[in-house]
Amino acid sequence: MAELTYREAVAAGIAQEMARDERVVFLGEDIGAAGGVFKATVGLFERFGPRRVRDTPISEQAIIGAAMGAAMTGLRPIAEIMFSDFFGVCWDMIANEIAKTRYMTNGQISLPLVIRTANGAGSRFGAQHSQSVENWAMAIPGLKVVAPSTPADVKALIAAAVRDPDPVIVFEHKSLYAVKGEVPDGETVDTLGSAKVLHPGKDCTIAALALMVPRALEAAARLQSEHGISCEVIDLRSLVPLDTRTLLASVEKTARLYTVEENPRLCGWGAEIASIVAEEGFWNLDAPICRITTPHIPLPAADRLEDATIPSVDRIVETVRRTMD
Amino acid sequence: MDILMPQLGETVTEGTVTNWYKQIGDAVRADEALFDVETDKVATEIPCPVSGVLAEVLVQAGQTVKVGTRLAVVSTASDANASPAAAPEAARASAREAAHTATPSVAEHPERGAQAFAHSRAHEQDAAARADARAVAQSTDARPDRERKLSPVVRRLLAEHGLDATAIRGSGRDGRVTRDDVQAHLARQEALGVMEATANARSAVPQVTSPLPPGEGPGVREAGAKPGERVVALNNIRRRSGAAMARAWQVVPHVLQAVEADYSRIEQARRAKQAAWQAREGFELTYLPFLAFAVCQALTRYDQLNARLDADTLIVSRRVHLGIAVDLNHDGLIVPVIRDAQDRNVAALAREIRRLALSARSSKLKPDELSQPTYTISNSGVFGTLITAPIVNPPQVAILSTDGVSKRPVVVESPEGDSIAARPVGVLAQTFDHRAVDGAYSAAFLKELKRIVETRAWIEDIV
Repeated sequence: MAELTYREAVAAGIAQEMARDERVVFLGEDIGAAGGVFKATVGLFERFGPRRVRDTPISEQAIIGAAMGAAMTGLRPIAEIMFSDFFGVCWDMIANEIAKTRYMTNGQISLPLVIRTANGAGSRFGAQHSQSVENWAMAIPGLKVVAPSTPADVKALIAAAVRDPDPVIVFEHKSLYAVKGEVPDGETVDTLGSAKVLHPGKDCTIAALALMVPRALEAAARLQSEHGISCEVIDLRSLVPLDTRTLLASVEKTARLYTVEENPRLCGWGAEIASIVAEEGFWNLDAPICRITTPHIPLPAADRLEDATIPSVDRIVETVRRTMD
Repeated sequence: MDILMPQLGETVTEGTVTNWYKQIGDAVRADEALFDVETDKVATEIPCPVSGVLAEVLVQAGQTVKVGTRLAVVSTASDANASPAAAPEAARASAREAAHTATPSVAEHPERGAQAFAHSRAHEQDAAARADARAVAQSTDARPDRERKLSPVVRRLLAEHGLDATAIRGSGRDGRVTRDDVQAHLARQEALGVMEATANARSAVPQVTSPLPPGEGPGVREAGAKPGERVVALNNIRRRSGAAMARAWQVVPHVLQAVEADYSRIEQARRAKQAAWQAREGFELTYLPFLAFAVCQALTRYDQLNARLDADTLIVSRRVHLGIAVDLNHDGLIVPVIRDAQDRNVAALAREIRRLALSARSSKLKPDELSQPTYTISNSGVFGTLITAPIVNPPQVAILSTDGVSKRPVVVESPEGDSIAARPVGVLAQTFDHRAVDGAYSAAFLKELKRIVETRAWIEDIV
């Protein structure tokens, strides 16, 4: 067991897969000698060389198109989109081509590729570099979507994404890159579509993703100590596939559900979860499902405004406390 | 003074306290309702025998105890003189009671009202009124479930366990019953050994336990129900009378016999006297009191049907304690008893039947009105049945069904020759225990009964 930062765990996951399988190649902007703008790919270029770790021009379409072609011709590419906001220019390739290729070729061509990207707020990067767009990806049939919250998870879920036969989007969180955590030694591979109950509780369920997971855990600790409310915190980890079994079982136990979402409120992933629980877990609910989200606004760059926008520990504590009656 | 579990009928050995009308510290007057008891026969209200203050409750609502068990202590004025501790205890209890009902949700969380209703100006204006309403709200809400805010899980749990939300103290906002409240209630019941929640035997309709419209709803259904089905919990009375009926059916060799009787003379009396009777008594004169009278008369001649079977002996009763089966609005069956029915005339029987039926339907029957009858009449006639084969309720040995009366063509014999007339005719069907008597004896009784019904000058029985 080693203590790694989230960014080191990203590099470790990529390295593990590149070492395991020669077909795994890695491409993106400044990922090579520079080690990535978030320093999440340090050492890969040195270890695997310029043939398998390729810096690209500043053209997201080129990156995605090259990854698609590589996957079509037998490689297992990992593409990096520096900021998830930049998916905006990639969607035709991702949504209309990559996500649909297996279906439109009647299974003759599958695309075992991974698109990694830095998602989310907290770095004062403003409206075009701070968004949480996991719900964009989630809306497209044919894509798998994961968003790990810990170093151990990001390593093992990247490994699972690389080994998956179909396109997987991995949302890493900018504000988690510096977070440290224990990562098991040796080869680790996780399972896509499995949520984790990180903190058992009996009074309510808090479903969270990525940066919202540590905030939900801190809120749960405070709710327990300050208000005697026992919260079960679930790290969803994967939106597609979604581990509804864990979620519904938890709601059956606690009878209350909160989602903590960094994506903007309208059609955020919590809306889908609320819909599922309302449909399949309705007779277990003792209170309305409550979503704690970023409001439906462009993100501000100013630090105080950004902090006020994204769900905070205080907001989670206050919302749960106020509605637990 | 100790309050004991009363003997509610000769064969009743235990009762369940279902409700206390008073809390510790409350003053109670003699004959004021103190608590409710439910037995296998009936749910009934028990009045307090003395005036005083309820000092102790030893058996909580939901508990089932043997007859004679101490349930509570009511301290009277003489008790207070004898024991100086009683009054302060009552005073403390009153203080606890007062503190308890002072709506902790408002007292402890003053911010709730403001935050919860601050969405709009209109809501803010409501908030003060709502807070006032909350301040006086009882913590157990007596509104029917449909009008209360019950969450899906609470509705499901209530349905699964046959519970009534009004019986559960709500700890949520505005006294809402939460899931935890229901679970705590269930845990208490389980701790008391009441494994099955008792459905409320007083409700006018069966406890339909599905919160879903029949055949609808998502994946979760209550246990036992398939799509398109709903679950109806059996109430205490039905479950226990059902078990008794099943035993009787297994043990008693039943024989059914029936005669057809011409009700013309009874009908003549009813028609002649109905208006005056209604004006005087305030209710309709039915066939049943006439039949009850005729049964008593016939039983005096054929008294081995007015008896109980005890091992190898038949113990014949000189008196007729006549049971009248009363339907509790399709929510159970109860058999109040007319004591010494043989001494009553038709009018007295009519009044007594009326009184007992009303008492039964409002759970006001007294214990001696539920004691074991010596013979029972089951009256399905109001529904126009042709014939009913009732089940004997041991140790009784026979039961009579009085079925529908309708006009039918009857051959009337006269010296001038036979003719066909339209006469009110009904079937009288008796089931008897073949261990006690034989068919000929039963048939003779029925013949006598028919003779009385058809030939007595009933018109003279009603003033």
